[in-house]
Amino acid sequence: MLKSPNSASKSTYWVMIVGVVLLHTVLAFRFFQLQILDFDIYNQRAESNRIRAMSIPAPRGLILDRNGEIIVDNFPTYILYGIGAEIINKKHNYNVIMQSTGIDTTFLKKNYQNYYRNQFVPTRLAKDLTINQLSRLEEEKNELSGIIYKQFPERSYNQKIYASHALGYLKEIDKQSIEKLGKDNQLEYGDLIGWSGIEKNYETSLRGKKGVTYYEVDAFGREAGKIGGQENILPNPGKNITTTLDVSLQQLLETELRGRRGVGIVSRPETGGILAYVSAPNYNPDFFTGLLSNIDWQSVIADTNRPLLDRAANGLYPPGSIFKMVVAIALLEKKLINPQVEIFCPGSYEFYDRTFGCWNQNGHGKTNLEQAIVQSCDVYFYQVIQKIKLDELAEAAKQFGFGLETYIDLPSELKGIMPTRQFMNRLYGRRGWAQGALLNIAIGQGEILVTPLQMARYINMLATKGKTRTLHIVQNKNHNIPEPDISIGSWNLIQDYMSKVVTAPKGTGRRSNPKIPGLKIWGKTGTAENPHGEPHAWYIAYGEKDGEMISVVILLENGGHGGEVATPIARNIFKHYFTSNRMKLAKK
Amino acid sequence: MFRHYRKKILESPISVLFPVSGLVILGLATLFSITSTQGHAPPNALSKQTLFIIPAVILMSMILLTPRRIIHKYIYIIYGCIIIAVTVPFFGEKIAGTYRWINIGLPFGLQPSEIAKWVIVIALARYLSDHNLKMKNFDAIVVPFLFVLFPTIIVFSQPDLGTAFVMIIPVFTMLFWVGSRPIHLFLIIAPLFSIFTAFDVLIFSIWAGIMAVVIFLARLKLWHALGLFFSNLFLGLIFPLIWGSLRSYQQNRILTLFNPELDPLGAGYQIIQSKTALGSGGFLGKGWGQGTQTHLKFLPVQESDFIVSVIGEEFGFLTLLIMLVLFSWLIIKIIGLALNATDRFSSLVLVGISTIFLTHVFVNCAMTAGMIPVKGLPLPFISYGGSFLLSCFMMVGFVLNFGRDKLD
Repeated sequence: MLKSPNSASKSTYWVMIVGVVLLHTVLAFRFFQLQILDFDIYNQRAESNRIRAMSIPAPRGLILDRNGEIIVDNFPTYILYGIGAEIINKKHNYNVIMQSTGIDTTFLKKNYQNYYRNQFVPTRLAKDLTINQLSRLEEEKNELSGIIYKQFPERSYNQKIYASHALGYLKEIDKQSIEKLGKDNQLEYGDLIGWSGIEKNYETSLRGKKGVTYYEVDAFGREAGKIGGQENILPNPGKNITTTLDVSLQQLLETELRGRRGVGIVSRPETGGILAYVSAPNYNPDFFTGLLSNIDWQSVIADTNRPLLDRAANGLYPPGSIFKMVVAIALLEKKLINPQVEIFCPGSYEFYDRTFGCWNQNGHGKTNLEQAIVQSCDVYFYQVIQKIKLDELAEAAKQFGFGLETYIDLPSELKGIMPTRQFMNRLYGRRGWAQGALLNIAIGQGEILVTPLQMARYINMLATKGKTRTLHIVQNKNHNIPEPDISIGSWNLIQDYMSKVVTAPKGTGRRSNPKIPGLKIWGKTGTAENPHGEPHAWYIAYGEKDGEMISVVILLENGGHGGEVATPIARNIFKHYFTSNRMKLAKK
Repeated sequence: MFRHYRKKILESPISVLFPVSGLVILGLATLFSITSTQGHAPPNALSKQTLFIIPAVILMSMILLTPRRIIHKYIYIIYGCIIIAVTVPFFGEKIAGTYRWINIGLPFGLQPSEIAKWVIVIALARYLSDHNLKMKNFDAIVVPFLFVLFPTIIVFSQPDLGTAFVMIIPVFTMLFWVGSRPIHLFLIIAPLFSIFTAFDVLIFSIWAGIMAVVIFLARLKLWHALGLFFSNLFLGLIFPLIWGSLRSYQQNRILTLFNPELDPLGAGYQIIQSKTALGSGGFLGKGWGQGTQTHLKFLPVQESDFIVSVIGEEFGFLTLLIMLVLFSWLIIKIIGLALNATDRFSSLVLVGISTIFLTHVFVNCAMTAGMIPVKGLPLPFISYGGSFLLSCFMMVGFVLNFGRDKLD
């Protein structure tokens, strides 16, 4: 390397130098041209004409019911902004705004402080302005400086139903969510995103993509025209979502549960599609749109009935007698009982040093499996449960989804508790519990807890003999429900008993029968004791006519006896569904 | 040993560091304006850039103290590694729509193409100094050219037109430096002209005529001349056919690469903003922190590619002129060192590095001033970018090393 002498010639050197100087001079001339010769042009542009990029909000996807009826729509409101660097006299501007729109200046001031980022970026002053307010403000345009407004789509709701827990609500995005969802989602402070329900779960497809508009504004913030050669990017509207809900069923169910605390779920066992989803008490979803004052918010939070709680997915209750089918099937499959064998029920049962009562204190007399289910005898089950171990029972219950998620397409649900030996040991210590606990569990009391959603899955299992699909309000999460390993004989037997619950003269579910020709109903009532007062009333059932089947789950918190208060609601549902003048819907 | 190092350092052309420091300070002042006026909390561009200066100077010093013969010895191997490194991202993730970055698990990515620029220069320098080639001949150009073309094409398809451009230019200056005839160099670019003029019969014919004259004047061997002429003709004829067979979106992609103003919302808008910001700065600028166009945040990448707009808007024409003076001082100084270098290898390295700097400066400023389509090349020592800052200081290290007029 060092052998190669540097034979660079001076002439080559000078050519290079000239080249370098030439290029730099070209650049200098160009800068000179822009900054000195054409200074006035660019200066004027920058000083009195500014280029602003505003995001154009994308219309959020609509939410429809299964028949295409709109449940959630958008309606445009307006948001008022101020641009710090352009406002000449803040006080004067605020006064003008207050005079024409009625919005208080202290409110404007507070918002300005809250949303301020820097003096060049629009700062939010007020939202949900109506067209009227806006037009009055426009009339005062000459008095204002640096004040602009932007259209903003709020949600508007179908007046017939609330469906608040299924739909969810929108709330303003907070710092955490912006950081989590990332910058390429174009989220800005002040945007609304779904916080619960469908609005949250399907947020990304509902949201769409914002557009951008470029325009020039003068020193007073007035639009001076489009930038030459500049195309706006149009927003991409969000995708509409068709739910499996049926507005008329939802409406009926909400009416039935109004003024009470509880849950109603109507679904199609074959597909898992949910037709109606009610958690009561609920709230008007309009509550969350517009300017939500702190007082309103506090009153909702403080309401002891907890209207924001979605009891269907997040309420935990003892199932009571509706659990009995699980016990029956577990015993049948293990061939541990003979359905014909009768057991005597005197109204109570002595077990070691404790007495367990039957709900019918007079006793049911001689009872076989069919009668035990049809009339919901507890004593029968206290006896037969002893033939099986807790863990075996838990295994059987798991097949029906007890203690497991239903994988419904809503943001949160609880799993409930299906006790096992391990669970009981951990809870009470190995010597802290005994077989007596099993007796309670057999009739769905004690440590066992379920959500009404789990019960919907349960009844759907029974209705389809194990071939049901995942519950969903929009889309099936395609989570495989493993088909339980249960013999066809057991399924048929249990279904037969459940039918008699409704048709037998002493059947506890007889009040759920609307007696429509061709309509057959199977069901089970439950009356779950609990420490907070009256027992919870349960009724789960399914009905079939002309090949169409729906299932119903009713829970009335502290409502009393399932057979008395829950069944009539189910009857109304069945009646509405199977007699109303609807087209035969495609199976969904 | 330290005395040895001290001697080495003192022998280096340290005056090169004067314009470099001036440029770095200018860059930091501008970043300071951007970050503090727009309320970016650290870690922000300013803090990160400042932090990078430390490893940059360390690397520079390490390179300064590395014996030249070691660099000479291992450069081909490094060249091979870089080729691999530049190809690797193709099998990795696409970040920001390109294949440039290797994810090494740190908060910033590594751009191998950054290093590739000067690795190629040094490798080429070795090749041209090792072999005593008759640079007056056309053939002597071919191998060096291919040497460089290979990585350039890889980078080009990442896609990174800007970096590819920076990689290919030094070939011409370095070949010129060792005595290639300009006409030969011209002929190397000829295929590009053939392609671009192919779409109009008249223009193509004129070009064919020019080509024929130049080839004749170059006095090539007969079959060389014929081969060159006809292969260019062939290119010119075949290209429109290939173009026509492309789907329109593919055509658009390629066109946008060369003329981003076809993409109105993207780069075209940036140019408008850039010129407005620049021009409205006037002679003395609007003052520190007062750049309305800048702080309205409508200049994307204002910390890196469009930083000249910020300087122009806030500090004015005078400062830009000073900046140009600093850059030309630096580049001319390096070429001066090349003239007086101890040997051909060192000389070529210096010429190549000065070309890299020059290309960056010219393309970046021309783009910001709206003279050429947006190319996305950062400005040395001033633009925000850790990878690039390190690379620039490393090149300064090479200059300090190879610029010493005493042999190792």
